[in-house]
Amino acid sequence: MDAQQVIICRCEEVSLEELLSTAREYQCTARELKLRTRAGMGCCGGRTCRILIEQIVEQATGQVPTHTVSLGYQPPVRPISFQTLGGKSS
Amino acid sequence: MSQRIFHHPVLGSMEERTALQFQFNGAVYTAYEGETIAGALLAAGVRTLRVHEETGAPRGIYCNIGHCYECRVHVDGIPTVRACMTLVTEGMCVTAGSVLPTPLKKGGHAK
Repeated sequence: MDAQQVIICRCEEVSLEELLSTAREYQCTARELKLRTRAGMGCCGGRTCRILIEQIVEQATGQVPTHTVSLGYQPPVRPISFQTLGGKSS
Repeated sequence: MSQRIFHHPVLGSMEERTALQFQFNGAVYTAYEGETIAGALLAAGVRTLRVHEETGAPRGIYCNIGHCYECRVHVDGIPTVRACMTLVTEGMCVTAGSVLPTPLKKGGHAK
């Protein structure tokens, strides 16, 4: 399996290789990895790759996700457009 | 060429349904009532629903259950509409997402 070819975050197009090398280089938390690579910050709100990012961090740094500081869920939990927020029905 | 399955060995034949015309990137396609945009386009052989906003890599159906937003398209001018969750209506105008400008990125493109 070519880690360069495997896309973890499809929204921001971040590869497994990029995430692994960043996590190894900076020995960072899942949150820092997210901010460094933008993985999990795309349109879907990290719903697809969140667990994978935490697993990559665990693999590269040995940090077990605590779910107190790492990748939390911020409201709105589902992606919602400003149009909908503004009361315009879609 | 249509890849729609009209006669299925297990599920049987497709019942009569109202045909709807809709546009995708200016071309006219036919859907049947109750079909999603993604389903109708897949049946028509369209696999690329958009390109990645930054890299231009082609994207299409990924989860097909409304979870991943990979199939997001513009519908009648409204962006970020999930093609897999939106039913086709008559005369609907669907356009694919395109590459967006990245003027603040080093080596990025303005347009």
